[in-house]
Amino acid sequence: MAYIAKRTASRIITFAVVISLLFFLARSAGTDPFERYLSEDPRIPPEQIQRLRAKFGLDKPLHMQYLDFVRNTLNGEFGYSLYYKRPVFDVVMERLPYTIFLLGISITVSTIVSYVVGIYFAYKRGTRVDIWGTNICMFIRSTPHFWLGMILLLVFAYYIPIFPLFGALTPGVKHENTYDFLKDLLFHYTLPLTTLIVRQIGMYVLYMRNSTVEVLGEDYMVTAKAKGVPKRSIMFKHAARNAMLPMVTVTAIRFGFMVNGAILTETVFSLPGTGRLIYQAIMNDDFFLLQGAFFIIAITVLLANLVADILCAWLDPRIKI
Amino acid sequence: MRMSINKFMKGVQSFASIYRRNKSGLLGLAILLFFIFTAIFAPILAPYNPYKRVDRPLIAPSQKYILGTNDIGQDIFSELIYGTRVSLTIGFMAAVFTVIIGTLIGVVSGFLGGAVDEVLMRFTDVIMILPSIPLMILLMALFGKQSFMIMILVLSIMGWTGTARLVRSSTLSIKERMYVEAAKAIGAGDRHIITKHILPNVSPLIMATMIYQVAGAMMSEAGLAFLGLGDPSHKSWGMILHYAETSGGWYANMGYPAWWWIIPPGLCVALTVASLVLIGQAMEEIINPRLRRR
Repeated sequence: MAYIAKRTASRIITFAVVISLLFFLARSAGTDPFERYLSEDPRIPPEQIQRLRAKFGLDKPLHMQYLDFVRNTLNGEFGYSLYYKRPVFDVVMERLPYTIFLLGISITVSTIVSYVVGIYFAYKRGTRVDIWGTNICMFIRSTPHFWLGMILLLVFAYYIPIFPLFGALTPGVKHENTYDFLKDLLFHYTLPLTTLIVRQIGMYVLYMRNSTVEVLGEDYMVTAKAKGVPKRSIMFKHAARNAMLPMVTVTAIRFGFMVNGAILTETVFSLPGTGRLIYQAIMNDDFFLLQGAFFIIAITVLLANLVADILCAWLDPRIKI
Repeated sequence: MRMSINKFMKGVQSFASIYRRNKSGLLGLAILLFFIFTAIFAPILAPYNPYKRVDRPLIAPSQKYILGTNDIGQDIFSELIYGTRVSLTIGFMAAVFTVIIGTLIGVVSGFLGGAVDEVLMRFTDVIMILPSIPLMILLMALFGKQSFMIMILVLSIMGWTGTARLVRSSTLSIKERMYVEAAKAIGAGDRHIITKHILPNVSPLIMATMIYQVAGAMMSEAGLAFLGLGDPSHKSWGMILHYAETSGGWYANMGYPAWWWIIPPGLCVALTVASLVLIGQAMEEIINPRLRRR
């Protein structure tokens, strides 16, 4: 536990350093919001801009501004969205559950499927199944998330109109109970989930296969074979178990990467998650929303990582020392 | 001087003779060379100017327009050919900078050790965990203008973590070797050890990583460009898809969505990235002979 506490503490400190760097970069890059949005408008006199800057504390010296920034961040105040005219925190929090739903299901399903398929490919290594399988996976992992989504949309929503083209719920429909609501939600999320799961599987199957093949080369596997343990039981009792740990570790490291995928996928399918929010913030030049969304997503990812760390320590007794 | 050139040529020859035996590596190289060729000869190969209207919008592929036209009547085939130039240039340039930053941090961290190593690796750790696309978007927003060079800069700032870790761990193992000890014993300085012993020994590894970095940078660029952060005067493959997405064709139901507009750019990204991964794997097998037997 001491190990995890130390690791978490160091991550929190480093993250604080990263966002502080971002703050100073933001101030030195001249992205003063009033410069940026108002100074080009000839109808607003410069004195007015000065007054506004004073009101928002932008005329204070830099270190005072930094202290304000730290205080506000700790209080969950990320400023106002210029487009929504609402606190950034509220806007992001409304959208976060949709993204967590998308990520939770896709990570669970893709991890389980690639675990099984990866072991199977390792079991069949060198055969045609393995060679074709790994090549297909390699191609899938080379495709951009959003393109995969667009192709699925093109085929299964446009040419063969089974699934909806956009949105998370059928517009204007009142759901009578939770079951109906979930049914509608899942129906809309089928294609986005497929996109993320397929893409993730392409990546992890290769990883799982290689780490299983590596385990198969260990001395204790040779021993097991020599003393006559059946091949099937070698695979599932020894190899599969030992190859599980690197899989959990890589899932933890890759968490941020999956968030990237979710952002792109949500944009393609017009889902009301944080990813789509970021896209809209870019389109509307809404800097504060962008910044707040990044902070909240980053904190969520760091928390998820903490959970993965604890899981790793639980799976691998060597870490507890 | 002549000696070292001879030695270098010999190295290249033995590298090529092993590489030639790797079928998928050769396939990757062929695909990559095809795209590089397209990028270099873009002005000759492209039938039209990709930034000019040539005909009515959304014409399906025909003999005149091999891949049809987009929503404002530009030739998609020409866009794709010029896009090869933009996407590859960004990918390769970002990879070069990424590898320089990563090597610098990795060598310093591994060689100096102690507190410097601790701080640098904690930093690497956090940058690695954080989702890169939102952070890159934020950086691009901070830099203000959307330009080709800023895209490369942002990709390099975010991409170095993997290289740094690899270089660090291999620096650590080289540092412990006998000949480095020997060099130290006869009074060689840190600078001499780094430039004469460590860098030459990590350079094959750096080359293989760089190939993967090109793939990674191209993938990130495609994502950022798709989200609308590309330079409008340098249309990449990702940006073609961005325009396809924002044209709103999905809902209009008037002959949209144009498959000829959506499929080719993504396929180009996928093929290039796959070819780079194949090349990277082949190079890894040469550098690390343990992998060859599998």
